[in-house]
Order: sequence, then structure tokens, then C-alpha cells
Amino acid sequence: MSTREKLAGLAIGAVFGAVLSWSGMSSPEVLRDGLLFRSPYLYEFFAAALLTGQPVGWRPERPQRRHVVGSALFGVGWGVADACPGPIVTQVGQGIPYALFTIAGVVSGVLLYHRREAQAGARDVEATPQPAESRQVYAGS
Amino acid sequence: MVHRRPAPLGLCVVAAPRTVQRPPGRHRRLLGGRHEVSAGSLRLDWRGWFLIGLAVGAALFALIAGGPDFHGYGWLTDTFSSGAVIGLILLASGVLIGYGAKTSGGCTSGNGLSGNSLLSPASLVATATFFAVAIAVSFAIEALI
Repeated sequence: MSTREKLAGLAIGAVFGAVLSWSGMSSPEVLRDGLLFRSPYLYEFFAAALLTGQPVGWRPERPQRRHVVGSALFGVGWGVADACPGPIVTQVGQGIPYALFTIAGVVSGVLLYHRREAQAGARDVEATPQPAESRQVYAGS
Repeated sequence: MVHRRPAPLGLCVVAAPRTVQRPPGRHRRLLGGRHEVSAGSLRLDWRGWFLIGLAVGAALFALIAGGPDFHGYGWLTDTFSSGAVIGLILLASGVLIGYGAKTSGGCTSGNGLSGNSLLSPASLVATATFFAVAIAVSFAIEALI
């Protein structure tokens, strides 16, 4: 990992963080107004970002059960906390004390996931030989 | 408060997702045991720096704007007076957000923006799911409080 790549990560992160804050996306009230259909802003924001975005490192994938299950869990947390991962970090950056609870939860959730994955991996290795690549890539890209 | 400035966001969305998503299968293949997993996720590659940048950018914003973008914490501070209760609710929500995003291979940035802009079927399904659930949860909270 070169210094250039790290600096690029830092710079892109800083711009993303500033824009997420500037656009109001770190505010739980803005999020809630969107989810309760009180304001179209959240959806306009998504549309604008989708139209101008140029993702790197993403490939189309076939939907699997984990996409629905994971997103349903995510949706509950998002709906209650009115903040998703990027904005949670920008809340911390802005100095919102409550965001420390949310981010502690996110870190715990990610660690819990890794733990369960490692355990599942260990079980798989015992049971059957691993397939070379278990990620299903969507063929119609 | 004016919240009408979304346009430049898309350009930065490029990198965001990689912080929270990686397909589970791949992890299992690349990283054998539990110890390696935790060591791997603590290593600070460009995604780690991206995460630091995210907080730095937000801090700069708060500095220039003369404070955070909002005060209180939405419906939670409107409803509960106990900071401990709010903290516990946010902690639990955070666990669901972290575990859910890892499971589904992306969050609102990853699946919602990056995946959808490629019209990835998995991301479209994921986005429909988390939007539907979050909208339902928000209306349920609204009905209860």
C-alpha cells in the first residue's frame, strides 16, 4: 500500500465527509423527514449521487439471501438511529457525543460478523472442501 | 437551515463503500482463523485512511460552519430525557447497522449508491429492503411516540 494510495483515501474521505455534513445527511432529523415522506430531499440526494457517481471496485452481483437478511437488520438500525455508517462517522467528526454510542455499536456489529464468519469458516473446512470462489458474480454485467 | 446541495456528492461516493463491505465468502477464503481476521481488519490500508478522512472532513465542516450541523438527536432526544436510554438505543442500532451492512455486503453508500449505479441486482434488492424496513420502522416509531 503506497503512501499515494493512503493520501488519496484520506483526501477522498475528507471531501466525502465534508459533503455529507454540508448536505445535511449527518442530521437524524433530515433522515427521518425523508423516511417519513415529509420531505423529498433524501430521495433527491440519492438520485443526484447516483447520477454523478462512478463506483470503483464494484461488480454487479446476483441477489442472495444475505442481501435481504443483512439489509433488513441494517434497515431497523438505520430507521431507529436515523444514521447510516458514513454519517455516523461524520457525526463523530462534528463532535456529536451521542454518535460515540452508535459507532461503538457499529464496531461491535462488524466484529461480531467477523467472529461468526470465522466460526462458520472453520466449520466449513471441517465438513467439506472449500469452493475456489464462493462469491457469485452476476454474469449479465 | 438549508439542505439543498447534493450535487457534488456522487464524485466522492466512489470510495465510501469499500470501508464497510466485502463479500463473506471471500473473507472466509482469504482469512482462515479468527485471529487473522481481527489482525486483517485492524491493518490501516487506504480504506482506513478514507475513514479517518471522513471524520476529518466533517470536523473541518463543523469548524467552518461554526458548530455541528444539528443539535439534540432527532426523535430520541425529543422522546427520552435519559441520556443512558438514548445511548443504549443508539448502541443497539449500531450493532444492527454494522452486522447488517457486513452481512449484506454494503450499506446505504455501498449497495445504495455504488451498487445501484451499476444496476447490480443484489444492490437493488438490498436497497429496496433497507429502505422499506427503515420506512416501516420510522412510521412504527411515529405511531408509538
